[in-house]
Order: sequence, then structure tokens, then C-alpha cells
Amino acid sequence: MAVYKRGYQRYQGPRTSHLTRIMVMPRFSWQRLMGMKITIVVLAVSMVWPLLCAAFIYVANHAELWQGMGGELVNFLNINGRFFEVFMNTQAVFAMILAAVAGPGLIAPDLANNALPLYFSRPLTRGDYIISRLLVLLGMLSLVTMIPAMLLFVMQVGLAGWGWLADHWIYAWGVFGGFALWIAIVSLVAMACSAYVKWRVIAGALVLAFFTILAGAASIMNAVFRVDWGRAVNPALAMNQIWRSMLGMEPLEGPGAWVCSAVLVGMGTVLLAALTRKLRPVEVVK
Amino acid sequence: MPAVIDIDQLTVKLGRREILHSISCRLGASGEGKAIGLLGPNGAGKSTLIQTLLGFHLPSAGRASILGFDCHKQSREVKARIGYMPETDSFIANMTAVAFLRLMGEISGLPAEAALEKAHETLFHVGLGEARYRAIGTYSLGMKQMAKLAQAIIHGPELVILDEPTNGLDPAARKRMLKLIREMKESHRMNVILCSHLLRDVEETCDEVVILKDGVVVHQSDLEAERKMNRRFVELEVQGDDSSLAQALAAAGASGVCEGGGRWRIVLPADVEIGQLWQVAASERLLIRKLSHRRDSLEEIFLKAVGHLRATPGESGGATTEVTANGRL
Repeated sequence: MAVYKRGYQRYQGPRTSHLTRIMVMPRFSWQRLMGMKITIVVLAVSMVWPLLCAAFIYVANHAELWQGMGGELVNFLNINGRFFEVFMNTQAVFAMILAAVAGPGLIAPDLANNALPLYFSRPLTRGDYIISRLLVLLGMLSLVTMIPAMLLFVMQVGLAGWGWLADHWIYAWGVFGGFALWIAIVSLVAMACSAYVKWRVIAGALVLAFFTILAGAASIMNAVFRVDWGRAVNPALAMNQIWRSMLGMEPLEGPGAWVCSAVLVGMGTVLLAALTRKLRPVEVVK
Repeated sequence: MPAVIDIDQLTVKLGRREILHSISCRLGASGEGKAIGLLGPNGAGKSTLIQTLLGFHLPSAGRASILGFDCHKQSREVKARIGYMPETDSFIANMTAVAFLRLMGEISGLPAEAALEKAHETLFHVGLGEARYRAIGTYSLGMKQMAKLAQAIIHGPELVILDEPTNGLDPAARKRMLKLIREMKESHRMNVILCSHLLRDVEETCDEVVILKDGVVVHQSDLEAERKMNRRFVELEVQGDDSSLAQALAAAGASGVCEGGGRWRIVLPADVEIGQLWQVAASERLLIRKLSHRRDSLEEIFLKAVGHLRATPGESGGATTEVTANGRL
């Protein structure tokens, strides 16, 4: 029977699980984000570097292509921790840009349109809401970080053989875990900016400003106090130190990976607290 | 059968200010399809009560339960059974009505296909069928109200909480909204809580009414029983010597109070018919100029409850429950 002839009937059928309900919002958001031209452009541009890296892996694993070249080139064409570190540093920038594009549209419209009471009057807690919004960014940012990284790793294993995997499995852990941490930090920054600034463009700019301002503040601190612990305040440098540790590389000068981890955890906690504070179904004026 | 709403000594503080002061009441019965009106002057605590029932505020003392589930401890069970239509504009502006309802349906636990089907069905039900592919941000105020109602009922909840549903509606849209509310309880057996400033809306749709004032329940009554009871009150205006009318009425089994100028207020017991008043008046040789059933309107009940009108002399509570200051019935 046509829907307009049927009339309203109360739904009495089976209900979905709690996990399925949490996944509803990411599904709708991904659909919306994939319909935005700017998202597609950023995604397309961010695939260039992984393609170049794939070509690099191919060349590095085909000795016949560079036979007779100098020793320096032979050393350069090596898939090691340094290769993955460079890859991660580049893709981290694209992840940041993508978060600045996709993040502001997540929470700001809900706050501007007073949609939170509708979500929270349903079987969805504030924690569920934050998780579902984090999942949106996790999914989007994975497309430019974890997924290409793992594909490159698998490609290298395919070309170099199981022996290489046995010796270098730590890279897989380092790339996956390192990107997961970066995605968590970038997502929290994007969501906090989205929760406090209603205008998308400004919220997006604020996401990028967060990282650049902290980088500047870290440099000023180091210069003024003539120290090097200021690097821990710069999220990009702190994250790089952690990645180097996870990839089994020599640490850079300055605070170690554990100190950097502690600073980033603190930063994440503050961002989460700020976000939770803003996400209330009703505003209570004290 | 559990009560739709069971509130016991509920106290809610927002910041340092106590908004609800140890209120208690028990309203409706699950599955009966009753509508409960929540009334009160501005700042009485109606919205705070609704928001506490929805789990938005933590009670500082006491407890509240909906359909037998504790609003705070079993919040997920409660929210799975209710639909909420907020007073203010609440939607996602750039979404079409179908997409918005589908999203709300799926979050409420409907499988994706069922949610899409119900979204169309519900939008036709509330009269937005032709506009269902338009972005909600482009809707008129009346259409937005209907979209809000649609999202509250898409998942077929047992209890629907409506906060000022007729706000900003023109007479035709208001009539339609009230019709939908009546249908919800009568045809679909949903329980409804209607929070409104418009007493006529409450009177037209509700079976029970609770009046809040300064964070305290000051009145609670069954409107249907009240309506039946009010038929026994008669206002009579006679011409002639009515000095012995009181005795004549007493002899007929009724009681009356003269208000002067031939005006009487008469209380008829259940076994005395109005027709007997004509006989009494004829026997006393009085000319009846006016005879009306005095109907205690909700407006009168409301004004009495909030202290703006004196209670009718000789009137005693039947279906009405006056509530003491601490909220105890």
C-alpha cells in the first residue's frame, strides 16, 4: 500500500543494538562530507604523497632499476623507519587540513540549531555523542593516514617477503599506533573548536591556528628560557618524538617520548573536558 | 500497571537555586492512552520538571520514574520509551525532513529500512507529506512545529512529552495539532504530557491536569471527573419572593446559597435532576429568568490554584486534589 494511504501506525518491530545506534550519526555525517567538494579535493590531493611513496617502495624493491647508481642513492632507496617517519609527517599535515574542513560541521550545526535535546532525549548519552562524532573524524582521517600507511606496509611486505616483515613488524605498530594518537588529538581539537565557534570557516581556521600558535609558543619558550622542553608544547613536534620512539628510531633532542606523551594526554584531557562542558542538552544559567 | 509518571519527594537544584521543592505526584497509568496537562505560571518549574524527567537534570533529592523506570538510574530504558517535542526550534537546518526523521528514527533504535518507511509515514500523518524533501530550515513556523511532533512520534513511543506544541500556530494549524494529540492517545494508545500556557489546549486534550506554582504542585485533578462533577453545580436567577426557596430546595434534596438579587448557586446531589428545580420554582411561584450549569472551567481551576481567584463557597474537592505546600497529596 502506498505510504500516503497507509496512515500512521506505532512502530512495534525489533530495535537495533546500542552500538548500531552510535554508528548512525557517523554514517549520516560521512554521507554528507563525501557530498562536499572541498572534502573530495583535500582527499584527492592527500593521496598524491602515498602514491609517490608506493612508487618509491616499488623502485626500492627492484634492484635492476637502479643498478650502477652511486652508493648514496642505494642508501636512500631503503624502506626503514625514516621512510615511514617522513610519510607520517606529510600525511599528518593533510589529516590536520581535513580535520579543519570536516570537523567544524560536526557539532556547530547541532548547537546552532539546538539539536542536542533531540539527541539526548533518545537513548544516547553525552559520551555516546562524543564517540559518534569522533568516529566521523576517525573514519575520514584514516583515509589519509592509517589506511594508505598500512597499504604501503603491506606492499613492502609483498615485495620484500616475510623475512622483512619478521625484522620490521615494529613499523606496522608504529605507523598504526602513531597515526591513531595523532587522529585522536586532531579530532579533539577540531571538535572543541566546532563546539565553541558557530561559524564553520572560523572554526576551521581555529583548528589550524591551534597547531601553529602552539608551535610558535613552543619556539618562544625555548628561545626566552634557553631550554628545549618547549618542544613538548608543540603538538606536532611532541607527536614526532613519540613516532620516532614507536618506529624504533633515535630520539631527537629535547623531552623524551614519555614526557611528550604525558603533555599530549594532558592536552587531550583539557580538550575533552572543554568539549563535555559545552555539550549539554539545556543551558543552565547560574 | 505502573504509573506513567511517579514523582516522590523530588527536589531539583540548578546551581544554588532550588527550582522544584520536594514535589510528589502520581499521574496516569501505563498503556491507557491518557493525556496529562502540565500547567503553571512562568517560572513555576514546568520545564525543569520535564527536563528532569528526560534526565537532563539530576535530582538533588527524591526520585522520579516514568513507566516504572527510574529517570536517573534507568535513563536508557526511559528514553527508549519516550518521544520529546521541545518548545524551542530544534532540528538540523540543512537536512530534508525525511533525512532528519530517518536519522532520529535510527537513533531511537529503528532499523534503517523501517526508519525510512516510518519517516515518510509520519510526515504524511502530520501533514508534511508534500514538503518532505524540503530542507527543514526553509519551513514555516507551523511546519517546523509539525516536524518536531513527527520526530517525537516516529519511533512509536509509549509516552510523548510535548512542550508548548501549539506555540506560534495559526488557528487551523492549532486545530490540526490538537487533533493529532487526541489521535495519539485515543487511536494509538500513547500517553501524552502536554505542557502549555494555553489552558484551552489542555482542556480540549487532557484527561488529567497538574498545576505547578513556585516549584510546588498546588493542584492535581482528573478533568473528566471534574467535568462530571461540575454538572451538579447550577446557577439560577429567579424573579419573585425567594425567601423560602432555600427550604424548598432542601426539601427536594438540594442545597442552595442566595447571592442576592434573585441569584442562587445550587448544588444538586447525584439523585436530583435539573428538571426538579423547575417544579420547585413553580411551587414557590418564582419565575426562572436564567438557569445554567455552572461549569468550572480549567481557567477557574488554574486561577484558584495559583491564588488569583477565591474558591466557590460550599465547593468541596471530589476529583480535585489540593496539595499541601510540601507537595504531599
